[in-house]
Amino acid sequence: MARYLLMRLGQALVIVILVTLITFVILHFLPGGAARAILGKEATLEQIAAFNHEMGYDRPLWEQYALYLQRLVRGDLGYSFQLNQSVAEAIGQRLPKTMLLSLASTLLAVVVAIPLGVVQAVRRNKWPDYTINAASLLAYATPIFFMGLMMIILFSQVWPILPPEAPQGFTLAEVLGDPAGLVLPTLTLAILTVAVYSRYVRSSMVDNLNENYVRTARSKGLSEGRVIVGHTLRNGLFPVITLLGMYLPALFSGALVVERLFNYPGMGLLFWQSALKRDYPILLGVTLLISVATVLGALVADVLYAAVDPRVRLKAGRS
Amino acid sequence: MTTTTSVQEDEAPVRAMWRQGLEVFCENRLALVGVAIFALLAAFSFLGPIFYHTDQVHTDLAKVFLSPGTAGHPLGTDGVGYDQLGRLMVGGQTSIVVGLAAGLLATVVGTVWGAIAGFAGGWADAVMMRVVDAMMSIPALFLFMLMASIVTPTVPMLIVIIGAFAWLGPARLVRGEALTLRTREYVMAMRGMGGTGGRAVRRHIIPNAIGTVTVNATFQIADAILYVAYLSFLGLGVPPPAANWGGMLSDGLSDTFSGHWWLLYPPGIAIILIVLAFNFIGDGLRDVFEVRLRRR
Amino acid sequence: MSLLRLVDLSTDIALRRGTVHALDQVNLEVRQGETLGIVGESGSGKTMTVLSIMGLLPPGGQVVGGQILFDGRDLRSLPAEELRRVRGVEMGMVFQDPLTSLNPTMRIGAQVAEPLRVHQGLSKAEARERAIEILRRVGMPRPDKIVDNYPHQLSGGMRQRVVIAMALIRSPRLLIADEPTTALDVTTQRQILELIDDLREEFKMAVILVTHDLGVIASRADRVAVMYAGRVVETATTAELFRSPRHRYTQALMNALPESATDGRLYSIPGLPPDLSRPLTGCRFAPRCRFATDECRTTDVRLITDVAAAAEARSTVDAAQAHQFACLHPVTEAVAIAGSAAAPRAVTGKADTILSVRELVKEYEAGGDGFGRSPGRVSAVAGVSFDVKAGETLGIVGESGCGKSTVGRLVAGLETPTGGQIVIDGTDIAGLDRRARHSMHRQVQLMFQDSYAAMNPRMRIDAILAEPLEIQQVGDSAARRNRISQLLDQVGLSRRALERYPHEFSGGQLQRIGLARSLALEPRLIVADEPVSALDVSIQAQVLNLMRDLQTELGLSYVFISHDLSVVDYMADRIGVMYLGKLVEVGPAREVVRAARHPYTQALIDAVPSPDPSHSPGPSTAIRGELPSAVNPPTGCRFRTRCPLAQDICATEPPLQGGAHQVACHFPLRQESVA
Repeated sequence: MARYLLMRLGQALVIVILVTLITFVILHFLPGGAARAILGKEATLEQIAAFNHEMGYDRPLWEQYALYLQRLVRGDLGYSFQLNQSVAEAIGQRLPKTMLLSLASTLLAVVVAIPLGVVQAVRRNKWPDYTINAASLLAYATPIFFMGLMMIILFSQVWPILPPEAPQGFTLAEVLGDPAGLVLPTLTLAILTVAVYSRYVRSSMVDNLNENYVRTARSKGLSEGRVIVGHTLRNGLFPVITLLGMYLPALFSGALVVERLFNYPGMGLLFWQSALKRDYPILLGVTLLISVATVLGALVADVLYAAVDPRVRLKAGRS
Repeated sequence: MTTTTSVQEDEAPVRAMWRQGLEVFCENRLALVGVAIFALLAAFSFLGPIFYHTDQVHTDLAKVFLSPGTAGHPLGTDGVGYDQLGRLMVGGQTSIVVGLAAGLLATVVGTVWGAIAGFAGGWADAVMMRVVDAMMSIPALFLFMLMASIVTPTVPMLIVIIGAFAWLGPARLVRGEALTLRTREYVMAMRGMGGTGGRAVRRHIIPNAIGTVTVNATFQIADAILYVAYLSFLGLGVPPPAANWGGMLSDGLSDTFSGHWWLLYPPGIAIILIVLAFNFIGDGLRDVFEVRLRRR
Repeated sequence: MSLLRLVDLSTDIALRRGTVHALDQVNLEVRQGETLGIVGESGSGKTMTVLSIMGLLPPGGQVVGGQILFDGRDLRSLPAEELRRVRGVEMGMVFQDPLTSLNPTMRIGAQVAEPLRVHQGLSKAEARERAIEILRRVGMPRPDKIVDNYPHQLSGGMRQRVVIAMALIRSPRLLIADEPTTALDVTTQRQILELIDDLREEFKMAVILVTHDLGVIASRADRVAVMYAGRVVETATTAELFRSPRHRYTQALMNALPESATDGRLYSIPGLPPDLSRPLTGCRFAPRCRFATDECRTTDVRLITDVAAAAEARSTVDAAQAHQFACLHPVTEAVAIAGSAAAPRAVTGKADTILSVRELVKEYEAGGDGFGRSPGRVSAVAGVSFDVKAGETLGIVGESGCGKSTVGRLVAGLETPTGGQIVIDGTDIAGLDRRARHSMHRQVQLMFQDSYAAMNPRMRIDAILAEPLEIQQVGDSAARRNRISQLLDQVGLSRRALERYPHEFSGGQLQRIGLARSLALEPRLIVADEPVSALDVSIQAQVLNLMRDLQTELGLSYVFISHDLSVVDYMADRIGVMYLGKLVEVGPAREVVRAARHPYTQALIDAVPSPDPSHSPGPSTAIRGELPSAVNPPTGCRFRTRCPLAQDICATEPPLQGGAHQVACHFPLRQESVA
């Protein structure tokens, strides 16, 4: 197990380093070079030269990369002259809010998707399966902002019970103080996630229901409920843990759109605003951070999967 | 001598493989529906303008927000006076072209990358796949926006941007496929006849991997169409007077509360329909490639 | 009295296209305390019968008619709750594949004791105790540890013991074993079958033993039901059935066994079983039967009681013991399985040596994870030497993991040896350059166990057969077409096959195509790796006959690799026995099988169930224990850890010695017989 952990950790580290390399390359191939991109169009040549010297951008590329890494390790993601604040600080203010949205919607999605997928698998090729399948396909095919708008029309206009805008609080505590405003964004993000998860749960459960061990369980005279809950469910749901990790990038992409639609002041909204203003330090900082979060998320999911599934656990333990 | 036992003749007629595949595809009703939807939408977008002439270049501020049914404008007009029905046709052209081109580009790049990694194995494989892992860990929309903020998004640029980052999925898929196909017994049998690696790739691995790649390509196209919509919504779509369904839909969002429903629902429904269509077609193709290889 | 009676049981399975009538009015009876054997080929309905009884039919499957009387009550009319109790408490089932029949993420103890927890409400601690007890009873070493293990930590044989323990913990009155040993090696098979026999007496239960293997039936069942195409065609006591089978199908099946070969040929049943989704009239075997008349094809033939036998039996036993069969032209002549296999064919002693293998070694890296050092090397083949002469068949037998397939792949040039020499027709293939190695493949060709897997599913048969010719650049395209047609003729397939794809053929036909492909380059040696293991007995006979015919016609040599001693005995002139990477014995087929010198060979022979009920299982030389790991194999004689005769000296390696019949053992069972 320790060996597996170590190997998986090493792999994650390699990926993170590669991601920093990608952001570094993008930074240096920006139009007009890094300095102009960071300082803005109005910067004078002297300012640029001074900046380049200060940041070490006049040194050889590999040295620049080493410097870049050094700063990253210290937590220095750069400085946004447009926001007049360090990138780390800007992100730090908004990150918890994005995490809240992502976690809440993931939790909701898991809670909804598992029963749906199980029902589909148990009643496969019957009307509950077809209905749920049609619904999830429809949800998948609908652009998430269109879906969100439908929700707003439905729950804020036709049947006005929820605010159409997300809470605008600056801190996490303020956001949590307005739970009603969080409902629609969370719901919107969750619907898309449910569509993906339930299909996955369904196929995993169908695979397991076709396994021979299920027949063995039935031969013991167990009730169908016990066969499903006691035997198939666990085996069918273990792989879902890895899906949680794999799905993170899509979740963050979804959060970006949802935050923009509901004007929720999280990292996605910050990213969007910065993209329109071409505020590169923020853009690269957010990209890097969110990628690292994805890598870590996948790592945690993998390790968790290895820890709960005896097949993986013991195999990993032996080799 | 010949054998002493006669083998039962199979009365089933001899049929080419594509015919057998076509039959399986046609058995999947949804797949046929998907083809029909796609054909209709494509005909609407590309053939429609031949019969229904509109000016989609010059704005006409005298005729803004006309309701559907107004003479000459069956679906009304938008905020700058473009005829909505004609605009749907033009927007459809962009969406379909970008979706198809980006989906195919991603498939081609991904297939080549994955195939090389899968065949090379060893270090090359490890390095190539870590690159894929790294790029995959950056959420796609963030990457698209980053790119779109650097270059001005035109139609070809959109295709390149989406194609350049959507190839990661196919790359992983093809690499896995190459790894499994390499160890198949029929490849081993071929080596037993003295065949080379090149022949294995040409005659055995590519023909067998093509199914998976084709199925995946249809899903890539659907995803690419959605990505265009998202980029438009985030303000990084193709600038006017060019149009696409995603852009029209996001423009329509701001008109929702002023009652201009005809600007919102038609493009929204069009996107949903075409994405569904490609998903149905993909499912049908999957049946074809999987079922027909199953033993009786 | 009868415990279970099936009355006109019919089962349908609804598929996407049409319905398969898997069972058609099956009548059977199982008496208390007896073992009923159900024998038949694939698709005969034997498994569907027991799944119908257990209510475990696959999706789409449904019992559509008849009664399942268990202890006098019709299971079909019981309420669901009661039905589950009956199946869970009074019946137990053992499945074919022990590797997949256990829940991979549940501890052994919890799975074994689950019926008690559910049906008797035992506490966790009590259930655990009972699980340990029953695991000990089925011969599990250290049951108190195993109880907390997961299935993947156990070997196949051990897992099958767990499945049996699970079935027995409820003290069932009926144990159903569906091909319980098909996935296991013969020595393990023997252990499991003996276990079931012992437990039957101890638990006083009835057993239904479903199998395709007449040998297993003959040695273990009291009565036998023979099934064909969804019907029971004959039923009798085991002794009676094997002494005088009456149905023409039963007779044909027995004649198709390699054991009953006379003058070097097997009787093979032509054609294939009928398609059960189509309406069938008359006797279902009629299309393949030599004795069929028009009457057979039109009248519905029902089971009738053998009048003479019944009259004779009436005084002592009741009607259920009677010999019943459904045949209009039953066998009247006496048939006996000829206890002797093929007469040894005269291979001239002076024939050229076509293949000579010397000290062949193959090692693999063991489970390297690409991170740090790998735990060791798997010694798959460890110093194997043998010769094959022109026109000769060398059989290689051994259980799974003994390295026999690796030897085959090495000889066929699919893998490179770690050490040793492979000399084909006088050339050592290790020393060849690429070009010479390329043309070497013309000399040796491989025939696979699963021809379907060995054929590209997207290529038509003509392309598949042309591939070796293209690779070796033999002839122009017209010449190749001619050659392909000729090959199809040789293996007895029509030209229509050329335009078809592999999935359109049955297993036996694919094996013919596979053979045709191996013949395409006119090789001198064909390495056949388990070529008939996936086939039914009747089809197996077709393929074996074909292989022998072609050998005589073309002067081929075969290296025939199989786990099945009786098939090898029939096919081979000489036999080599492998154990854990070593050749432990090699000699003329007759002598190896009838006068084995190595204790392992003897154990292997004793473990094979004989399709002759009068042939009692020999003295228990059955080997115990598990196959050691090939990563760190025992030093010296690799068999010594399981050998009943092992002494200290066995820690030094015994050389393979002797004249024509060589053995690698310090204490050979016999001296070499002088021919």
